[in-house]
Amino acid sequence: MNPAVHARPLFIALGLLLLLALWLSLALGPVSLPLQETLQAALRLLGLPLSGAGLEQAELILGQIRLPRTLLGLAVGAVLALSGVAMQGLFRNPLADPGLIGVSSGAALGAALAIVFGARLGGLPEAFAPYLLSACAFAGGLGVTTLVYRFGRRNGQTSVATMLLAGIALTALSGAAIGLFTYLADDTTLRTLTFWNLGSLNGASYARLWPLLIVTIAVALWLPRRAKALNALLLGESEARHLGFAVERLKRELVFCTALGVGAAVAAAGMIGFIGLVVPHLVRLLAGPDHRVLLPASALAGASLLLLADLVARLVMAPAELPIGIITALIGAPFFLYLLMRGRS
Amino acid sequence: MRLDLRLASFCAALLFSHAALADEPLPQRWVSAGGSLSEWVVALGGEDRLIGVDTTSQHPASLRALPSIGYQRQLAAEGILSLRPDLLLGSEEMGPPPVLEQLRSAGVRIEVLPSKPDLASLERSLRRMGELLGTPESASRVFADYRQRLERQRQWIADAQRSQKAPGVLLMLGHADSAPLAAGKDTAAAWLIEQAGGRNLTDHDGYKALSAETLMVLDPEVVIYADRTQKGAIDPQALLKRNPALAATRAARDGRLLALDPTLLVGGLGPRVPDGLAVLSAAFYPSAQALTAEAAR
Repeated sequence: MNPAVHARPLFIALGLLLLLALWLSLALGPVSLPLQETLQAALRLLGLPLSGAGLEQAELILGQIRLPRTLLGLAVGAVLALSGVAMQGLFRNPLADPGLIGVSSGAALGAALAIVFGARLGGLPEAFAPYLLSACAFAGGLGVTTLVYRFGRRNGQTSVATMLLAGIALTALSGAAIGLFTYLADDTTLRTLTFWNLGSLNGASYARLWPLLIVTIAVALWLPRRAKALNALLLGESEARHLGFAVERLKRELVFCTALGVGAAVAAAGMIGFIGLVVPHLVRLLAGPDHRVLLPASALAGASLLLLADLVARLVMAPAELPIGIITALIGAPFFLYLLMRGRS
Repeated sequence: MRLDLRLASFCAALLFSHAALADEPLPQRWVSAGGSLSEWVVALGGEDRLIGVDTTSQHPASLRALPSIGYQRQLAAEGILSLRPDLLLGSEEMGPPPVLEQLRSAGVRIEVLPSKPDLASLERSLRRMGELLGTPESASRVFADYRQRLERQRQWIADAQRSQKAPGVLLMLGHADSAPLAAGKDTAAAWLIEQAGGRNLTDHDGYKALSAETLMVLDPEVVIYADRTQKGAIDPQALLKRNPALAATRAARDGRLLALDPTLLVGGLGPRVPDGLAVLSAAFYPSAQALTAEAAR
């Protein structure tokens, strides 16, 4: 299959798109800052001793609100898209999404536990309490994914098909548990749960950012090293093995990277759908299935798309905010349908 | 002697100027996150200070014209900053904490007021709002009046209970056409029923769907429907046709089906609670002479 777009122009275009998304995400918001003030505030953040009327406010909005939020969006978008590529490669199916191995439902289960029962714990140390939700979501995602992987193992082999089915079963089980918590929850907890399930980059702060940034950088550096192995896996497992790739180790690494990446993203920003499914698919349509291009291009496209979606989320209802999951689904689903129809004709 | 007087007046002046310095300028641009808080701001005469409210602030209707800052637990820092507020008023439920932190560092004053349904919390909230509005006397007058009305209400119920037993009451929340949820024992609805002199019949927590059989076993004497879509009085014929199980209860036989504005059930003691209680008690104790809003004052 010949790619519609060659790698170099694709990377240039996606790089420019990401720069544009980054700039818009920093420059636009419910508080309208003049371009000059934004630039001056940015220079001040870099340490230049500028002063002027209203600059302190601008610096605060840029440095404490928009920049952490933009970095969060960048990391979440990139890591969700990368995990999507890893899953579609592992299952050799372009319709696979990180939810298949249970990481999303596990994270949702952990979050529901934290939201519904967190208040009853009470005696948590002050420093840990704000991180309870994130920690539980991350642990839940990792835990359920580990279970799914264990179910897939037999005689030292990992059966991808068994993993898929185990993932479906455990997702259903988590869904039942979440349903039970929903039933037990009171009105306010219920609303918190609902909002969490729709995701948001709201309230991003540097303190919550760095675990996700580290995970994202690790995943973004690690997965492209396995691009050739992923390409070989497209031919089939035994073919890849005969070509000299350590398939079992590859599968383990893919599952681990996805659990880590999606777990951290969900812990930081709640559930954000469609990025992990649509972005790799879209990039594959444009650039073909070569993972050496697909992986970095998906990371760039995922980050751009999430930043633009977040821009819509915070501008369209200002001064209130829409949950970002609504926007990604609202843009992602029709676009996906369009791609399907176009591919058929 | 003269020197003493001068010294005294100097001291007094010093004291005064000190007091004046301690007084920060009153906040002029208010954002309120919390239904009953917004309602109280309006009741205390501060509606012109409000420049934004959250989605739970639905009363009075004029508040809905103000910019909405979203749900009180999901506030967005930059959105609120774009309104250039001096003050953000909210209950303990307001959040998330990182957003409040961002707002605080941007120089927005944040007042967290208690929202528990007890008079001590209300007194503290009203006093604080009065100080912030610059009208502490009128706020304490409003509170005294409020307390007095609730006290009369209690008295009236005690009198009425001498001739009539407290009725068993069930409050159903939600659309009467679908399966409504029954208010459990720990809810604001149960609190309201008990304050109005009724006996809440349920013993579950929160709001849960009730099976038709349970409804017949509980056999309430009064059923209250708190339905957002309901405008005005309930049409009992239509209601009973859709909920056959209800028809077997005493409430339906005696025609004691009431409508209640569901916004009374959120956010603690709002300004409309005494009126709502008076209406409920009048329906709970039909033989006693109704305590009208005028007579209660």
